[in-house]
Amino acid sequence: MEAYDAVVIGAGNGGLTAAAGLAQKGLDVLLLERHNIPGGCATSFCRGRFEFEVALHQLSGMGTPEKPGPLRMSLANLGVLDELTFVEMSDLFSVAMPDGFRLTLKADRNQVIAELEERFPHQKEAVRRFFDLVYAYANQMLAAFFFKDPAPSREKYPVLYSHAFKPAHEVLDAIFTDPLLKGILSVYWGYLGLPPNRLSFAYLAMLFFVYIEFKPFHIKGGSQALSNAVVNRFISHGGTARFNCDARQIIVENGAVQGVVTDDGERIETKYVVSNASQVTTYARLIAPEEVPRSVFTEMGGRSLSPSAFTLFIGFDCEAEDLGITESTSFLIDAFEFDDRIFNRMRSLDITDEAMVLSCYDVTDPDFSPAGTCQANIVTLKYGEPWMHIPPARYHSVKFRCAESMLRRVETIFPGVRDHIEELEVATPLTHMRYLGHPNGAIYGFEQYTKDSMFFQPGRTAPIEGLYFASGWIGDCGFQPTLSAGMAAAKSIIRKLENA
Amino acid sequence: MKKAIFEEFDGYQAIVDEIAFSRKHGTDYTVFRDAVNQQISLLHPNRITLRLSEIIDETPAVRTLRFVSPDGYLPPFLAGQYIALFLDVGGVRTSRPYSISSPPNQTGYYDITVRRVEGGRVSNYLLDEVGRGDIMETSGPSGHFYFNPVFHDRTLVCVAGGSGITPFMSMIRETVECGLSRTFYLLYGNQTLDEAIFHDELTRISERFENIRYVPVIEGPPHGYHGAIGLITGGLIREIVGDPGRKTYYLCGPRGMYDFCVPELQRLGIPPRKIRKEAYGPPANIWEDPGWPEEVRPDDEFRVSVAGADPIRARAGAPLLTALEGAGLRVPSLCRSGECSMCRVKIVSGKVFQPAGVPVRKSDRQFGYVHACVSYPLEDLEILL
Repeated sequence: MEAYDAVVIGAGNGGLTAAAGLAQKGLDVLLLERHNIPGGCATSFCRGRFEFEVALHQLSGMGTPEKPGPLRMSLANLGVLDELTFVEMSDLFSVAMPDGFRLTLKADRNQVIAELEERFPHQKEAVRRFFDLVYAYANQMLAAFFFKDPAPSREKYPVLYSHAFKPAHEVLDAIFTDPLLKGILSVYWGYLGLPPNRLSFAYLAMLFFVYIEFKPFHIKGGSQALSNAVVNRFISHGGTARFNCDARQIIVENGAVQGVVTDDGERIETKYVVSNASQVTTYARLIAPEEVPRSVFTEMGGRSLSPSAFTLFIGFDCEAEDLGITESTSFLIDAFEFDDRIFNRMRSLDITDEAMVLSCYDVTDPDFSPAGTCQANIVTLKYGEPWMHIPPARYHSVKFRCAESMLRRVETIFPGVRDHIEELEVATPLTHMRYLGHPNGAIYGFEQYTKDSMFFQPGRTAPIEGLYFASGWIGDCGFQPTLSAGMAAAKSIIRKLENA
Repeated sequence: MKKAIFEEFDGYQAIVDEIAFSRKHGTDYTVFRDAVNQQISLLHPNRITLRLSEIIDETPAVRTLRFVSPDGYLPPFLAGQYIALFLDVGGVRTSRPYSISSPPNQTGYYDITVRRVEGGRVSNYLLDEVGRGDIMETSGPSGHFYFNPVFHDRTLVCVAGGSGITPFMSMIRETVECGLSRTFYLLYGNQTLDEAIFHDELTRISERFENIRYVPVIEGPPHGYHGAIGLITGGLIREIVGDPGRKTYYLCGPRGMYDFCVPELQRLGIPPRKIRKEAYGPPANIWEDPGWPEEVRPDDEFRVSVAGADPIRARAGAPLLTALEGAGLRVPSLCRSGECSMCRVKIVSGKVFQPAGVPVRKSDRQFGYVHACVSYPLEDLEILL
């Protein structure tokens, strides 16, 4: 029987960094991936002469070589930095509305403030107050938790104590009167999956802080380059990667991991498993029910599945500027709303006037698409549930119908795009479900209400000895968080082994 | 126990209450045990088991194999898509993609139409050795060669060569059977009229439906033949379709046909975005490709070691995938034309030849991954699956 020090199930971001981190420390690690390619979300696919990025919009936490962010440092520790080229995006984001409204925020605190002050002179003071609050919150949060202050107090960290559990809309309402400005400052809700009226201020503040301080980045070759680089490192550390091989079961006996059974029925002995699969899959499918403590399902039951996404990947036979696309990240918005209309729209099947984000990597990376072409990735968040009820025979026509409505929306802002389409691929919530294996195609794992933040949830540990999690299901979701989650899981196991 | 600091944050108790409430009225995730796989298998099963229910003679060299599902369910597909058959031919496990020639509205069966290829082990096996009632494994429907209503024109100009007619057969049958508002111009090239598969059916359809125009093009016609002859040129296309604008062009056939027809279409002023080509297997006579090193002969053999195991032998002139399958290794495969990337393998050392234009991801190129179905060993290789 084969035996490994650790088995990592899934080669998504979290699984990859966990596997590489463990192998780097000399552990004998097996990485199982049911697909033929590593990456999970962090992948790409080719159509015609285009290669489409699947998931990465703006990589956070990188920072510059002079002022490295946490992610740059961790990737350097993994030894993958030299094999990758990171492209800094100068813009935080831009907002485009069909009435011609355009606004672009640069990834610089002073420039963001200056631009907003100029566009919203009546809210000048409020703009400053908001960013002061964002920075105060972020700095206090980092001091207390990242740098682990041994004696934190309300006196030292007043904003942290007062704002950590506050909803974003409460904070925005207290500071701003202009709804347009409020809307612009909450567009990042799309990266978190909860509309502004449900989003927590803490998440919004941290997003602004990391993107401004460490700048948004894109990777040459897309997120697949990162996935490939990490696998490469893993293999060079002696790790064994097995693609096209799913895990069928995690063997648990007396509350402790004993091994893993693969798809082919092969039994592998190990005391440590890092699951990059969702907690739902891990507990409900991979472990025998009698070995799962009841508390696990009770805890999980209090959480809800995040939205999935509906995405168009379009390759155009012309340059981005020929289409009027001049920003790498554009939020396309019809109207700003601060109630449950956004939420309700995400729960419906059809696309009407949803907020969507259009990413055009060619704007910052001219080599991204072949010369004389460009591509756009347009995504809107949609819960997977309604898609589960479409009869299979109707699936393709519903998919095209929604794609058509989405393209019409894009045309209201960038007229003429349709006449330059060379390739067009559509991903529905079912596509995400197919490739990620996530229930209802949830792309952000569980929803990230304040109650779901790291303070209140079990995170990477499990009540089963030897089982760890590394994915977007255990805490924050996104590239930086999942990459970090894998490294943290590796560290936990290494610490455990050192203490044993 | 010391209080954690967040327990003193404003609003803490409300969240604790919210958690208690949401757990009490929460979701039972145990029901998700098989939910994902069950749902996905209805649309995109990795494998399906089919029973061969009928064999229909089309031409002396062509038969249609009709497959039904033993459990009565077949995943939906888009006209133009293919399934890959997973086969054991003479002790070698391999696969072959075949476009579905029946229309998607026919939910009771999938037809594939197989033409005998000279020396083609798989086509000969399918035409001679399988029989009604045989059970076969296939992939789910795959491929990107289909009418995309979002950006394709409703007038389709289809250029087919030989067995490249099969995806168009599905499209045209669907259009006439479902009354879709699409217009087809089908130019179908063959050596002789006898080789034209579905000739009678296409003739009947085009007589009955004015939105279907069928033009067989015969390369070597008998004396006195009145139809279109020679190659499918730009001139001929223009003559048949009139104004070449506002139409999408679909090509399916051997590579020689693409090499000839694509420039012909471009000369008519048709932009590349209007031209769609179906993957059609690995190129024949790869050693005639530009860039093939002169010193390597197609029959040269190299040693390929897979993940440190005993090396296998691989011929330069045959795809690496074929050598791996011949040695009994299991490599997933689907399109066998370089496009789907299922047979992606890592070249650790040694060189392979890859024809131009294979869509390999940029970072895969950087890290040495190739698509084994269109990679040809030029040296001894060390690879990882």
